[in-house]
Amino acid sequence: MIRYWPALLSLLVSLAAIAGYVVFLRVPAIRNHPGLYLIAFAVATLIAGAATWRAARWPNVAALALSVVLLLLGGYFNFVLARIPPAPTVLRVGEPAPDFTLPDASGAAVSLASFRERAPVVLVFYRGYW
Amino acid sequence: MTELGDEGIQILAISPDPNEKSQELARKLHARYRFLTDRDLAVTRRYGLLHAHGGHRGQDVARPTTVVLDRRGVIRWLRLADSIQIRPDPADVARAVRGLAP
Repeated sequence: MIRYWPALLSLLVSLAAIAGYVVFLRVPAIRNHPGLYLIAFAVATLIAGAATWRAARWPNVAALALSVVLLLLGGYFNFVLARIPPAPTVLRVGEPAPDFTLPDASGAAVSLASFRERAPVVLVFYRGYW
Repeated sequence: MTELGDEGIQILAISPDPNEKSQELARKLHARYRFLTDRDLAVTRRYGLLHAHGGHRGQDVARPTTVVLDRRGVIRWLRLADSIQIRPDPADVARAVRGLAP
């Protein structure tokens, strides 16, 4: 089976891309560059494609089919499913942020205006239910 | 990094989910942080950050966003994500905060 090492390499690149993204999801450099897994799937496709071009045996074709499927699924997820639709701008640099009062983890009311003249504030909005 | 604690930077992490955490950002800035719950997404909507039906089960969620305000409450740095895969990078935020005038 050693003659099918390109097919195996293609498979390993695909699996490494998936595993790497999942394992390093908490690392901003990986998480915020999802295009990396698409590049990996494209590389896996090229490797399997070149192997299939030279010998259309089932291991090469299977590796090509898998990498193409992953590339298409990954592309669909990244460019369609994961997209957040554009929305009218409310926040603008140089303008004040709207004031609000929200409860913290202990239920105490926290007002944004209370930090004025006291400290800079970083607001981090999360999706929630992640 | 420790000098940021002296400046008293306050981090407010906001989500509709009361269990969401922002500890990585707080640790990077050595700053005080609090988790606020915007249960009905009213504040998220007012900020223009609603992602309608963006949740796994079709529920409304917030667009991942980071806003840096100076002591006058003015927005000095802003990052809105256009993909659900993006989360604010603590290093970028820390850099923006350090760039604020004293």
